Amino acid sequence: MAEAMELTDDGLVRRMIAGDEEAFSLLYRRRHPAIYRFALHMSGNTAVAEDVTQEVFMALVRDTKRFDPSRGTLGGFLYGIARNHLRKRWEQDRRLVALIDDDVDSPPSNGNVHHYGNRTSGNGFHANGNAQDNGNGHHPASLSRDEFASLETISRVRQAIATLPENYREVVVLCELEELSYEEAASALDCPVGTIRSRLHRARALLVEKLREAQPVRRASAVGE
Amino acid sequence: MDCAQFEEIVHELDRPGTQGLAVRDAALIHAEACDRCAQLMTEAESLDFSFQLLGTCDIDLEAPPRVEAAVLQAFRRHKIDSSRKSIPWRLAALGAAAAVLLAVGLLLRHDANPIHSAGSPLQTALSQAAFPAAAPGSSAAETDQNQNEDSEYETAYVSLPGASDPATLEGGAIVRVVLSRSALLSLGLPVTDAGAGDRIPADLVLSEDGAPQAIRLVSQRNNNE
Repeated sequence: MAEAMELTDDGLVRRMIAGDEEAFSLLYRRRHPAIYRFALHMSGNTAVAEDVTQEVFMALVRDTKRFDPSRGTLGGFLYGIARNHLRKRWEQDRRLVALIDDDVDSPPSNGNVHHYGNRTSGNGFHANGNAQDNGNGHHPASLSRDEFASLETISRVRQAIATLPENYREVVVLCELEELSYEEAASALDCPVGTIRSRLHRARALLVEKLREAQPVRRASAVGE
Repeated sequence: MDCAQFEEIVHELDRPGTQGLAVRDAALIHAEACDRCAQLMTEAESLDFSFQLLGTCDIDLEAPPRVEAAVLQAFRRHKIDSSRKSIPWRLAALGAAAAVLLAVGLLLRHDANPIHSAGSPLQTALSQAAFPAAAPGSSAAETDQNQNEDSEYETAYVSLPGASDPATLEGGAIVRVVLSRSALLSLGLPVTDAGAGDRIPADLVLSEDGAPQAIRLVSQRNNNE
């Protein structure tokens, strides 16, 4: 196992093709958190994120030979599959009509988050900024004012990201939250580096605007206390 | 640096490998002199800080164990399916290899049989002697090949008086002899060449017991030819 740990992604993929389950398991453990987080940030829904993560690795099992190391990293390849699955889901979902809209207070979105991002009903993130199923959140009552302020900030930023158009959101998630370089993000999203740079620039400007808009509300409510 | 240039790079002042980091010092100098750009830089830094908080908050997020169990199960199933699918191919490959080996074997055997059935030059000579009318030119050519005697030419074999039935002969030999013209004439051989010397070389077929069976004339080719 220690030997396998030292292997690169490409080495693990080769061993996986040869039928090595340990290599596949290691590859999954190494790569799935980033894919899960990407899917969660893009969908705002833990169930969708789980499904997408599962689909991504099932696709890797089925079509491992589609991965060509000369064309990009395994991470980029997996993000690409995740992105395609998310888009398929959104396409399917656009054909559905919601019977009860219990998310009327959620911010306006590009139509994708609206379906999945029910942040108050427990399908997505808790108000403290953590995902529901992972159990690493704290009750707000036990927090200091600074911690609460941080969590509030996290929640607002998370919400602001969720309302970005899809092509801006994915760049923010990859470059800012997953800390990919422009080149890595370009490989994952199959577009030029210049496009990544300009989208990120625009996305950040939008986020600043959204967060600036949210500030007076908080200040006003603080004044009213 | 002017405000437009500052706005262009303000979001990547801390991003490794970008243009913004390269001109960071110039940007800071500009921000000290421009209130608007200083405000933009503060907002960009706040946004970076928020991303860091969010990233730290989500760093431990991962899919629940059931997803790993599902993909590992899919991997095992795929492995079994692949090995099942490969069995017919392996059988087909083995069958093809066996067919090729069989064909090669038959070909070799086919090539080897004429050597044994046609027999040695002795057998050829005896059969020629039995059928003296049969294409003396071609027989001579075949004998040429068998004996690799490119520098000479021969007549067809002529059966000698008292020779045994060629079909009943086994063993024996062909010997090169030099006979006088008169001796050859007495055997009924057509020695009519005016340029021929008194002593003429000939190939004599002997049976196993040494009895002469057939004879042919041999003549050296002229070197000028």
